[in-house]
Amino acid sequence: MNPVIIKAIARKEFYHLVRDFRSMYLAFMIPLLLILMFGYALSLDVDSVRTVVVDHDKTEVSRDFVRKLNASSYFEITHHLNDSSTAVRYLDQGLTTMAIVIPPEWTEDLKADRTASLQVLIDGSDPNFAGISRGYITAFVEAYNRDRLISFLNRKGMEVIKPPVDGRIRVWFNEDLDSRNFIVPGIIAIIIMIVGAMLTSLVIAREYENGTMETIRSLPVGGGELLLGKAIPYFLIALIDVLVAVFMGQVLFGVVMKSSFSLLVLASTIYISVALSLGLLISIATKSQLVANQMAILITFLPSLLLSNFVFPVGNMPRIFQLLTCIIPATYFIDILNGIYLRGLGIAHLWPSYLVLVGMLIVLSNIGFALLRREGM
Amino acid sequence: MNNSGSDAVMVEDLEKRFGRFVAVDKISFAVKKGEVFGLLGPNGAGKSTTIRMLCGIIAPTSGYGRVAGHDIFSEPEAIKHAIGYMSQKFSLYEDMTPYENIRFYLGVYEVPQEAWKERIEWVLDMARLQDVRYRITRELPPGWRQRLALGCALLHRPEILFLDEPTSGVDPITRRSFWEFINTLAAQGVTVFVTTHYMDEARNCQRLVMINEGKIAAMGSPSEIIAEVFPCRPEADLSDVFIHLMARRGE
Repeated sequence: MNPVIIKAIARKEFYHLVRDFRSMYLAFMIPLLLILMFGYALSLDVDSVRTVVVDHDKTEVSRDFVRKLNASSYFEITHHLNDSSTAVRYLDQGLTTMAIVIPPEWTEDLKADRTASLQVLIDGSDPNFAGISRGYITAFVEAYNRDRLISFLNRKGMEVIKPPVDGRIRVWFNEDLDSRNFIVPGIIAIIIMIVGAMLTSLVIAREYENGTMETIRSLPVGGGELLLGKAIPYFLIALIDVLVAVFMGQVLFGVVMKSSFSLLVLASTIYISVALSLGLLISIATKSQLVANQMAILITFLPSLLLSNFVFPVGNMPRIFQLLTCIIPATYFIDILNGIYLRGLGIAHLWPSYLVLVGMLIVLSNIGFALLRREGM
Repeated sequence: MNNSGSDAVMVEDLEKRFGRFVAVDKISFAVKKGEVFGLLGPNGAGKSTTIRMLCGIIAPTSGYGRVAGHDIFSEPEAIKHAIGYMSQKFSLYEDMTPYENIRFYLGVYEVPQEAWKERIEWVLDMARLQDVRYRITRELPPGWRQRLALGCALLHRPEILFLDEPTSGVDPITRRSFWEFINTLAAQGVTVFVTTHYMDEARNCQRLVMINEGKIAAMGSPSEIIAEVFPCRPEADLSDVFIHLMARRGE
């Protein structure tokens, strides 16, 4: 390993990078777009459920029910409709997420101590959203029942009774359940894969396609020097992207890390190196920029997005996919980032994930060396 | 053939197989220091495979060989430092300027920093690229790129220069000045090993080896080879010999 040779290769690679419009776009524009898109557009939170109400009962009690519903911040009543078929049409066309139908004689049933049924229709085409909506309306109905019961008993002159169990629920690590708080760390992982693996998957394939690999093999350059020299510019760019993402997450979305910044830099450094070795490995193996790019999307970008516990919870996946997530570097990186951003954990708790990433780095870079050696480097 | 200390290149029974295909079939020859040596043959004869083995790019299957005093099996790195290699595509980095290409080679060949300035000027003068040193290489005509590639291969002052079809795709005038330059280099003591299939170029070589299907078909100076193959035809030239030998093999 000669630093002069590594420097010469890194400098050359830097020229390639800045003179290739596509690479520059991938290196800087895509990360920025991702942060803005994920941060602003992809919110997994359900602020208020759009609701239409069909009130067949039309009494003081039913109107009071609807008023309470509207007053709660979880529901937004967009329309009061006259019949159920219109409500169904609203659901069909996606104009509303929930339809609540209060049947005729609802108040009479209530007063006569019969169970008064309330029809709630939820658009289940987005299961996540539907599940949350169902939770909201169930909780609302329960609260309504309790209030009615208590006021009824009070009216009868009984003592004020208290509910036997009062669940005091507090959410830890992400108090407001703001999905941005875990989306920003996820984006950092995705960006590193794009810049690290997708960009570098091109760099050795490019030498093969341009015939310059032949030149390199005739030069006194070792495989390690070649890989390291090629990785350095991309390493720096990925690190810059991480810092930009952290900064934008803080300034635009108010996502602040609870643990130390240096732990984040350490984790990013290791994870970037993993991504780079993966990209270089693909590049050596495929020798074609097009194939390398497809491969990189398939085996680095998509798994990082889908199987890393970022957007889709691994706990809900079939066993085979759960096992698959264990070999995806992003899983461990996102675990570390969640620890740093949300849980405020230190190295004492996070070291296993660091260790796995280091192990992956060692394995991947050694496979890369071995492949290059087979090519006569 | 052994132990001649003045040989720049020496191979004995050198063989290269790719699977069952024999690309180079146990060839033996030697190149003297300061010689312009030509390796001739039709496409697919094993010229490139031979030159790549000598440059330490691919490992031979069997045989023995020394280049610049180093063993081609065990010391490819030492060979790479001692030689310059230019392939047929003059594979430069086309998105970089001549100046940047030169700097890359200086770094990779570990030329001492204090010599860089002087070497850069030397190559730019030699290749007549002073005016375009900051232009992108892609925009330069093929002949200019060839001179730049040659210059880059000479930056570290190699003892032996390997040229794999160096003039393919270059016009005759550029080719002539290219050969004038090669002869100047040889006069300075640099050994030049060149592969070609142009017969007019082969005449510039002091000695030749003609190969076909991985085997040596003829060896010697151009006039020796002609006299050997056509003893009774003084008007015959190298092209006649080439066609005669290659046709005979092909049967």
